Amino acid sequence: MDVYLPIAEVSVNAPLLLALGALVGFISGLFGIGGGFLMAPVLVFLGIPPAVAVASQANHVVASSTSSVLTYSKAGSVDYRMGGIMALGGAVGALFGVELFRLLRLLGQADLVVAVSYLLLLGSIGALTLKESLTTILARRRGEPARREPTRRPLWLYGLPFRVRFPRSGLYISAIPPLLLGVFAGILSAIMGVGGGFILVPAMVYILRMRAAVVVGTSLFQILITTAVTTVLQAGRNQTVDIVLSTLLMVGGVLGAQYGAKASARFRADEMRAALGLLILLVGLQMGLSLFLRPDDPFALAPGGAG
Amino acid sequence: MMVPPGPPPMDPPALVAPAPEPPGPVVVTQTPTISAALTNSEIEVDSSYAGASLVLYGAVFNPGDDPVDVVLVVRGPERPVRLVRKVRVAGLWLNSRPVVFEGAPAFYVMASTRPLSEIAGFGVLRRMGVGLDHIQIDAPDEARTVNLYGVRDVVISRLGEDYLEWRRAVIRLKERDGLYRADPSGVRFVDPGLFRAEIVLPPEAPTGEYRTEVWLFQNGQAISVRRNTIQVRRVGVERWLHNFAFFQPWLYGLVSVLLAGFTGWAASRWFRRT
Repeated sequence: MDVYLPIAEVSVNAPLLLALGALVGFISGLFGIGGGFLMAPVLVFLGIPPAVAVASQANHVVASSTSSVLTYSKAGSVDYRMGGIMALGGAVGALFGVELFRLLRLLGQADLVVAVSYLLLLGSIGALTLKESLTTILARRRGEPARREPTRRPLWLYGLPFRVRFPRSGLYISAIPPLLLGVFAGILSAIMGVGGGFILVPAMVYILRMRAAVVVGTSLFQILITTAVTTVLQAGRNQTVDIVLSTLLMVGGVLGAQYGAKASARFRADEMRAALGLLILLVGLQMGLSLFLRPDDPFALAPGGAG
Repeated sequence: MMVPPGPPPMDPPALVAPAPEPPGPVVVTQTPTISAALTNSEIEVDSSYAGASLVLYGAVFNPGDDPVDVVLVVRGPERPVRLVRKVRVAGLWLNSRPVVFEGAPAFYVMASTRPLSEIAGFGVLRRMGVGLDHIQIDAPDEARTVNLYGVRDVVISRLGEDYLEWRRAVIRLKERDGLYRADPSGVRFVDPGLFRAEIVLPPEAPTGEYRTEVWLFQNGQAISVRRNTIQVRRVGVERWLHNFAFFQPWLYGLVSVLLAGFTGWAASRWFRRT
């Protein structure tokens, strides 16, 4: 059953998009990430213009993260204060990112920036996560006592002004690092169509050292706000949000996310991190590969010709 | 058929002027004439649109013995094309600055009864813009840079030794996307004097006005033409959504987000109950 997308101006198979949404939603609920980094490459592969793919999936992420945040919120595992500060940064970052992306498209360099961002960010974070979790798993298998995580946080977290209490996260730190983290995630949201969970979760775990129980819920809350802002900006500035595409993705996505969130309880945390790390690494390498391979055709049509 | 071959056809007037057909009774002249019509001249793009296919049929009145050829050309609305070239910098494949070709047709199909090279010469085809090699793509003669959407120094044209390569690339890439096509056997005579051709519009072809030209060739010259238009229009929900997204983009964005939030909320409610 094919459906014609009004903004993307292509005809796509509706059940395929529903399934894709469900799969990404499942992974999203399982790992507490937006899952956008997985979906953008697949949508582009299906023939949807990259700019429309990036903007529409941001809207899809709004739906799947709303559903997940509500689930986590009932369990009391969302730190709204922390999430709110990060979301504020996220909104600022999205504003900047949407303008940046618009400029890059006109310069014909959007592909390059997207490929480099995927390669560097996903590649390094995937590799780090994988290494860390494999070390933990191996230690556990050998029966070594679990290495006590150092509870000391970087000192600069305390040296900065504007300290705020975050009771749910068990923190009393400056508001500046979470704010900057949010700005960074907001820029990524606009350029890569991702919520930024893959970078927020490790940062919250390893830099802020938030209480583990609230990390995922808080990250999803910030993703929800950031992608909502990104969607409105992309629609308003670039007219690249395809509501039919995002609706198809989100219907599959919210269902998948619920099952994912339930399934996540069955796995060990370190094994999940290893799987996630591997997935992120592979997507990053795959996207970055285009930079090194000789293109089939030395020329390419740049989007935005009609604009 | 019984008349000996008429005088050589007069070329330029028939070529330049649209040569309107006598509407009523067929006026017997020495020059062959052509007549053609489309099965459907309005294509409606709705949510189940998956491209369209329409048939052009027509008749050739040829009083002489010289063989004739029919060439069909369909041109879509003109859109600027932005093209980049991949260049290798320090081991990485990067995009050059985009070159803008203004006024390239967004869709172009040529169908004929025989390969074009057997029908007419290079100069004739080039003048008429018939055939993939002869598509008229406007590009200014000199390279000039302009400020476009606040971006400085966008190269509008780079006519030079590699201009032809860029031009060919436009056609090659559009051909790969199914938007440009040449079919040297796309026009078939189903009966002496009666021909048909099929025009396939892929879903990627943009909306707008498409112009068809059906040329009659004899002895290497175009001697008669019939022109039609095809309208590709959005209708129903498709039209409404598109207009909403482009004329009230901020409200559209807001509605998209609210819809997404509601979907997420509804899913979480539904899952809690079951």
